[in-house]
Amino acid sequence: MRLTLRWRVALAFGSGLLLVTSVLAFATWNLASGYLLRQREACAKRQAEVNVRLVEQSLSSPGLGELLTGLTTGPDSSILVLSPDGLVSAGRGVEPAQLPAALVEHPPTSERITVNGLPVLAVARPVAGGSVYVELFGLRQLNRTSTFIGAVLIAGTIGSALLGAALGSWASKRALRPLSELNSAADRIAGGDLRARLPDQDDPDLAALAAKFNSTAAALEQRALRDARFASDVSHELRSPLTTMVNASALLRRRREHLPGTAGTALELLTSEVDRFARMVVDLLEISRSGQVDDPPPEEIALDALVRNVIATRTAVPLDLEPVVVLGDRRRLDRVLTNLLDNAERHAGGAVLVSVRRCGPVVRLAVEDRGPGVPEPLREEIFERFSRGVMAGSRGDDTGSGLGLALVREHVHRLGGRVWVEDRSPRGARFVVEMVPTQF
Amino acid sequence: MCLRVLLVEDDERIRRALSLALSDEGFAVDESCSGEEALPRLEKEPFDVVLVDLTLPGLDGLELVRTLRSRGDLPIIVVTARTDARDVIAGLEAGADDYVTKPLMASVLAARIRALLRRRGPGREFVRIGDLEIRPQEGLVHRAGERVHLTRTEFRLLLELAGAGGRIVTREQLLQKVWGYDYFGDTRLLDVHMRRLRRKVETNPDDPALLLTVRGTGYRIGS
Repeated sequence: MRLTLRWRVALAFGSGLLLVTSVLAFATWNLASGYLLRQREACAKRQAEVNVRLVEQSLSSPGLGELLTGLTTGPDSSILVLSPDGLVSAGRGVEPAQLPAALVEHPPTSERITVNGLPVLAVARPVAGGSVYVELFGLRQLNRTSTFIGAVLIAGTIGSALLGAALGSWASKRALRPLSELNSAADRIAGGDLRARLPDQDDPDLAALAAKFNSTAAALEQRALRDARFASDVSHELRSPLTTMVNASALLRRRREHLPGTAGTALELLTSEVDRFARMVVDLLEISRSGQVDDPPPEEIALDALVRNVIATRTAVPLDLEPVVVLGDRRRLDRVLTNLLDNAERHAGGAVLVSVRRCGPVVRLAVEDRGPGVPEPLREEIFERFSRGVMAGSRGDDTGSGLGLALVREHVHRLGGRVWVEDRSPRGARFVVEMVPTQF
Repeated sequence: MCLRVLLVEDDERIRRALSLALSDEGFAVDESCSGEEALPRLEKEPFDVVLVDLTLPGLDGLELVRTLRSRGDLPIIVVTARTDARDVIAGLEAGADDYVTKPLMASVLAARIRALLRRRGPGREFVRIGDLEIRPQEGLVHRAGERVHLTRTEFRLLLELAGAGGRIVTREQLLQKVWGYDYFGDTRLLDVHMRRLRRKVETNPDDPALLLTVRGTGYRIGS
């Protein structure tokens, strides 16, 4: 899976800062703890020198043990004086065997060692008379300090990495804001709102993109307006002469008996073609408009009542209706059912059943007929414009516009549903319109 | 008796074809080619109905409808070649009683005209809803004693609703009874008329108390 750009920028910021601050932190820790240790060593050596001098003065006196006790500096420190006569020690108990041999044998020297699990700094100094003075300084405190410094630095490093990631995320969000604006504007345009524009950008990097987008959108809008105006003009220009034609032809048809013979037959042909032509133009204009969005706001429609009302104006058809309410445009639904019924009448001798049923989450409006059915390969094609005539058994006196089912499909799409045709047993076809009902 | 129709249409061929076909349907048709010419004639001569093309040169069809409506309740049918919801609604809002779209058949137009002019048989003498008094015989409506001027179509719409008592009248029933539509579907016609009617009879048209909408079904009279 690819991370989004925003996440990648955040991650880069975060890891960049992590790297820089961890190097810095590591160096700081090294320097600080090294410095502290050196300070401690110098201090310990100085103290050992002083102590050695004191020890030398009372080496053979019996008060040496007391003196040593007085010289110890804390619970972690110990002092050993190894002389040929024996061992005198004070403070924390340490056996000479626990000390490294090099330390005892070659004073003066110092070494960091661990005794009884405690880190100490051992300083050995030669004492007059072949003795060796060894003082152990506890380093626990120092170690604790440098651990604490380390913890603070690690926390700081992690904190700055997180801060870096947050900064990266914020910066990329800011940087990508014009992109998300572009996205939403493009979405609106794709959704049909051609007035969507990007706000003016003052950033020269973005201004060109915004200007380009806006001019493209403006051109698109202009074009859509021109197309709509053209369609409207075409509609007007075609409807006017058609009005004259259909009315003149209706007059002529009534006077058919005055024109016997060939002229009469020609008149019949002419008038029926005028009617068909008128239907076709009206359907064509309707289908060219069907993509335009000037629907009234969708209303709740009782589908069963709508079917009953449409059927009431036509030849009676058996009904099987469940009460269902759908959301949509009444005129479109009405047109869908009317066209399906017309289609059944034209190609299959009329519908034999109209049903409205709930099928799970959807509602299906079905128009069934006992006609020849629609062969499998044509089931998509019949919903195409002007697909009339591909149907086996379509008749010569067909007066349809060839747009009925295409209009059905357009309207059903607009209503947010789908339509298909299937076999009906034992014979015939079933046209099904599937929609989503409103929930109550 | 022959119904007199004035056809206002600028396209001469349409005018002649429609007038021939309407005469064939039994109407006495007078023709007029512009709003300016039609207005004085409508003042002088008694017409039963006027057909107005919406796209007239000069005095626009909408303007003509508005002027006619301000003068009285002469039934008006607008004829339009544009099917945009906007144009249709504008025509109805201007005061038209009904509309037809080109290409229109004279037979359909004849049915529309007859439905518009159909009179109700003698019904009840007096109906009262809220502070409205309706006298079906005289075609008068009073609100709180004051005369309310309704067009013939608005009056019939009100009467249909009042006649149902408090029962729901579906959109289809109203379209069928008031406009004679047996092919239901265009509820814009009903919506606009209902809006006009509410403006005249409701105290607050935005929050109707008399003419109530029943969502998804139709309308009823509020008690």
